[in-house]
Amino acid sequence: MELQWGTIFAAAGAAMAAVLAGIGSALGVGMAGQAGAGVVSEDPDRFGSCLLLQLLPGTQGIYGLLIAFVIATKAGLLSGGVDISATAGLSLFLASVPIAFGGLLSAISQGKVAVSGINMIAKKPEEQGKAMLMTVMVETYAVLALLISFLLVNGVQVG
Amino acid sequence: MIVQMRRMTLVAHKADEADILQAIQATQSVEVLESGEESSEQAALEQAEEKVRKLTDALKTLRPYGEKQGLLTAMPEANIADVAKQLPPALTFSDRLEGIARELASTRSEIEKNRTIIESLRPWDRFPADMQTFQDVRGVKYFTGLIAASDVEKLEDIDACAEYQLFNEGVVRTCVVACPEDEAKSVANFLKSIEWTDYAFPKTGGKPADAIQRLTDRNRELSGKKSDLEVSLANEASGSAKMVESALDAAVIERDRAKAAAEIARTSATFQLEGWVPQDKVETVEKAVKSVTDAYYFSTREPDKGEVPPSVVENSKFATPFEQVTNLYSRPDPNGIDATPYMAPFYVLLFGLMLSDTGYGLVLSILCALYIKLKKPTGMSGGFAHVLFWGGLSTMFWGVMVGTVFGMDFDTLFGTTNVFPLLVDPMDNPINMLILCFGLGVIHILFGVGLKMKLAFSRKDWQTAIFDNFSWILIICGLIVYAVPSSVEGIPAVVGTVGLGMAGLGALMILLFKGRANKNPFMRTISGLGELYQVTGFLSDILSYARLFALGIATGVIASVFNELCKMLMGSPVLVLKILGILVACGLLVALHAFNIAINTLGAFVHCARLQYVEFYGKFYEAGGRAFRPLGYKTKHVRILDGKSSISD
Repeated sequence: MELQWGTIFAAAGAAMAAVLAGIGSALGVGMAGQAGAGVVSEDPDRFGSCLLLQLLPGTQGIYGLLIAFVIATKAGLLSGGVDISATAGLSLFLASVPIAFGGLLSAISQGKVAVSGINMIAKKPEEQGKAMLMTVMVETYAVLALLISFLLVNGVQVG
Repeated sequence: MIVQMRRMTLVAHKADEADILQAIQATQSVEVLESGEESSEQAALEQAEEKVRKLTDALKTLRPYGEKQGLLTAMPEANIADVAKQLPPALTFSDRLEGIARELASTRSEIEKNRTIIESLRPWDRFPADMQTFQDVRGVKYFTGLIAASDVEKLEDIDACAEYQLFNEGVVRTCVVACPEDEAKSVANFLKSIEWTDYAFPKTGGKPADAIQRLTDRNRELSGKKSDLEVSLANEASGSAKMVESALDAAVIERDRAKAAAEIARTSATFQLEGWVPQDKVETVEKAVKSVTDAYYFSTREPDKGEVPPSVVENSKFATPFEQVTNLYSRPDPNGIDATPYMAPFYVLLFGLMLSDTGYGLVLSILCALYIKLKKPTGMSGGFAHVLFWGGLSTMFWGVMVGTVFGMDFDTLFGTTNVFPLLVDPMDNPINMLILCFGLGVIHILFGVGLKMKLAFSRKDWQTAIFDNFSWILIICGLIVYAVPSSVEGIPAVVGTVGLGMAGLGALMILLFKGRANKNPFMRTISGLGELYQVTGFLSDILSYARLFALGIATGVIASVFNELCKMLMGSPVLVLKILGILVACGLLVALHAFNIAINTLGAFVHCARLQYVEFYGKFYEAGGRAFRPLGYKTKHVRILDGKSSISD
């Protein structure tokens, strides 16, 4: 059976980027949602601020999707398959590693900070800005991971 | 810029106290300080707090029955007198409401209690004796309980010393076991060893069947009463929500006044009020006091060395909404500099680059403009609405420069070839785009260093300005100029040498003069060396601006992904499916792009703010100011007409 290793590796890279970053965001947003439900059960007026904090860990999933899409377009996965060499495919696979693992772990950590932020605004609703800011600090690393993944994917010579 | 605060002292007759406080509250310019003494006004404060609590509870009870307020309707406006007039009728109304709510709650709980008893008695339906009196037989011990159907045969084992009777069918069967008193202990042990749960009858008399009937009847009449109460609650509620909201605002205003009154020092005939007033409001406050009485002593002075006045700033119409962004981080130290007017244009510029999609910018600006016009928000949400409006305009600009409109290329939209994007396409040319972002970052950071120089000069500290800050500007610019000939063709090599010279000069200045506090020349150079290490800090700051690039392409690529998705939906060759696909795709497009706008606006807002706080403010800002909390009108539901909007908040 003749396998197109280039395409396979590229597909694996796209899948990994989307899956791992998505898992991270799902876990992060889920954690924050649980904390938010607790706060809202005591004080329904806090819902807006809790929702805002809950949304913040969600960006890593979107970044993963973005890189998956860029890899898929580059390797022709969406339009019927471009012939790419095994080296190019493996390069694409490795290029997805930063956003996959960086997104996974930073989203989980960001979720934990979001949970603490939600607990903070339960006691001090006026400090919502500070809670948001602390949560966003973690996202720096997801952004850096996205950047390097994008640059690496862009730099791969296909065909 | 930062407004000077003055510490004021006002002494006047006790008789005029209430009127003076009301007049001062109308100016919304005085923060009253605690006098630290025990006050006779505590009782009045407690009463005022009680009113606020009652009305808040009433509002909570009314909430399920209230009419929904439109998203874009403005707050109703009223005079302070009208609002205060709503207080007495609202208080009696809230008492009435509280009574009905309490009765309703107790009725509900009684219904629930009866229902539980009925359910627990149902298996004992066939029990023939009175529940309370059947045990009053001498010499016999009764055990009532529930036994698993599977264990019924085990009861045969105690047949010798006890009698048992079952009363229902099913998985769990109700059972009574009777035995002579001396056998009681062994029977009890036996029962513990099988699947037996003790059951105690509830404290009502008569047979279980009678009790069930009685309680069901009682529940029926209670349910009738409950629905009557609910109807009367709904009747009371309709139309009353507005009155209670106005009254709640009035009660809060009164409570704030009472709180201020409680903090004033008093003698037998006079009272003394200490507070902070902004410099430009001193006349207004004095006029307000004069309108009440001529017999007063009013003086203001500069803050003392140890005192920390609150932080008040005044800015141009464009920059004022951006104060909300600064306040998210920290108000400025009164002795420092107000960063908002310098931050505002950079914020707008960088926000646009992060969102960089003309279509999204258009939608954002339109939505914000509508919100501001219709809902007339104030305070934090008003500030953010204005900030996002300007950000939307900037986004439209950058969208044309850098690339996309609703995820599509401008070229495909206008049918032109290669005219757009006007500046650089991040997808084709990531390195140049990165250089653009880093360049903006360098400008931002150097501007911050320049502000620090300005601050130092204004404090007559030219050494800090030149040796600590200008030297860094020289180093960074020098290094950049040095790198130019090697990366750009056509620049003579001498430019590189000039750059190297600049950087060298800057480094020398730091090395020699940074540690100028130290007399020992050796120690000076060592601390200068340590300071040079800060170049890594600058490097990481500049790299941080790469997020402009990352967030910019993120928006565009996600939008184009959504477009591709919907294009696939619309591409079916079968006509019926194609029409269906187009319908679904249109709805989907709107929803997906709306989602994308929301997520990316949030991200751009927060990341742009973070860039200001860490990279920009870190260079010159002195944080730590405390908020100015004047005695004023802190209303949530009504806008008071004769007061201007509050300075702080």
